[in-house]
Amino acid sequence: MSALVLAASGDVFNPPTSRDFELPGIGGTFLTKPMLLVILSAILIAVFFFLAARRMALVPGKLQFAGEGVYSFVRNGVGRDVIGPEFRPYVPYLVTLFAFILVNNLFGIIPIAQFPTMSRFGFPVVLAVISWLIFNYIGVRRRGLVGYLKETLFPPGLPLPVYVLVAPIELATILITRPLTLALRLFANMFAGHLLLLVFILGGEHLLVSGGLLTVTSPFAFLLAIVLTFFEALIEVLQAYIFTLLTALYIAGALAAEH
Amino acid sequence: MSQQPSGSGRSNPGDAWTVTGYLLSGLLVWGGVGLLVDRWLHTRLFVLVGLLVGSAAAIYLIYVRYGRP
Amino acid sequence: MKGTLNLVGYGLSAVGPGIGIGLIFAAYINGVARQPESRGVLQPIAFLGFALAEALALFGLVLAFVL
Repeated sequence: MSALVLAASGDVFNPPTSRDFELPGIGGTFLTKPMLLVILSAILIAVFFFLAARRMALVPGKLQFAGEGVYSFVRNGVGRDVIGPEFRPYVPYLVTLFAFILVNNLFGIIPIAQFPTMSRFGFPVVLAVISWLIFNYIGVRRRGLVGYLKETLFPPGLPLPVYVLVAPIELATILITRPLTLALRLFANMFAGHLLLLVFILGGEHLLVSGGLLTVTSPFAFLLAIVLTFFEALIEVLQAYIFTLLTALYIAGALAAEH
Repeated sequence: MSQQPSGSGRSNPGDAWTVTGYLLSGLLVWGGVGLLVDRWLHTRLFVLVGLLVGSAAAIYLIYVRYGRP
Repeated sequence: MKGTLNLVGYGLSAVGPGIGIGLIFAAYINGVARQPESRGVLQPIAFLGFALAEALALFGLVLAFVL
């Protein structure tokens, strides 16, 4: 065996850890790859929707058809069906949220970018905080602070001692659990998916270099990496949809009037 | 957030996540209370009691909001 | 290999609720497939069963961290 293979086969495989997600700044500046990807995604979405809506005809051209497809998917499927009759003011936020999360997630499998920016915890936190502020603000504006709290914390028709048990749970739900699970669900799915892809691809490469019997098994690692890439694409679209759907659900819950 | 009509017509895939959120809140709130009581009384029992009470209360709350026919 | 026994216990305990939730929703899908009008009646029962099974899964998760 050549010296290169001997040297490589003595290496221990270091599995990817969360350190691999801390990318360095480009050229020593503070700008890291996730930052640039987020800015790029915002520009892409803005340009896409601007071009799709620019010369609107009754019989749509291709770009307008694509833009209408995305917009009406969120507007009808998530906005109208979930929120109900008063859904119109919230459609811009929901469409933006869906498009932003979708593009950023898809960066995880697009060849040059290849880093899902939602796997850095700060990004989902901001989105979850915005959604949380929105649905709480709607509830408070509708019925005043006391009315909103009374309606949320004390569902009608329960025996009195049960309220002591149930009210803190409802309070924790609207204050802590909802934004926390929104952010955590998105972050954990993207982080785990990217880590899984890293394990199979880096492991496959390590097997390839190691020589001997291990090189024969490396195509299986790469094959699994390909399969997981498709699975990852599905998960990414699904997570964008679920985030938007849950935001719409919480807005609907805050809007619904109690009589 | 009020009583939405349960059962017929409301087939939201997001409901499953909301239910999970309620369960998690119940466990965290009453498990946390149990943890604090444990720290105060130097026992090790109340965490478990708090978790059980929290999960029971959360399941009851889910029944009230989603499970009533 | 590093880690605690908590994680092994949590992994093993996640099998039960996984199977349970699968069974619950399989029954729900079966029921709605045979008779689509029964969807409104079956849905609260499905959610209640899901909550009960999921509670056990969350127990495992929380206790893996607490103990």
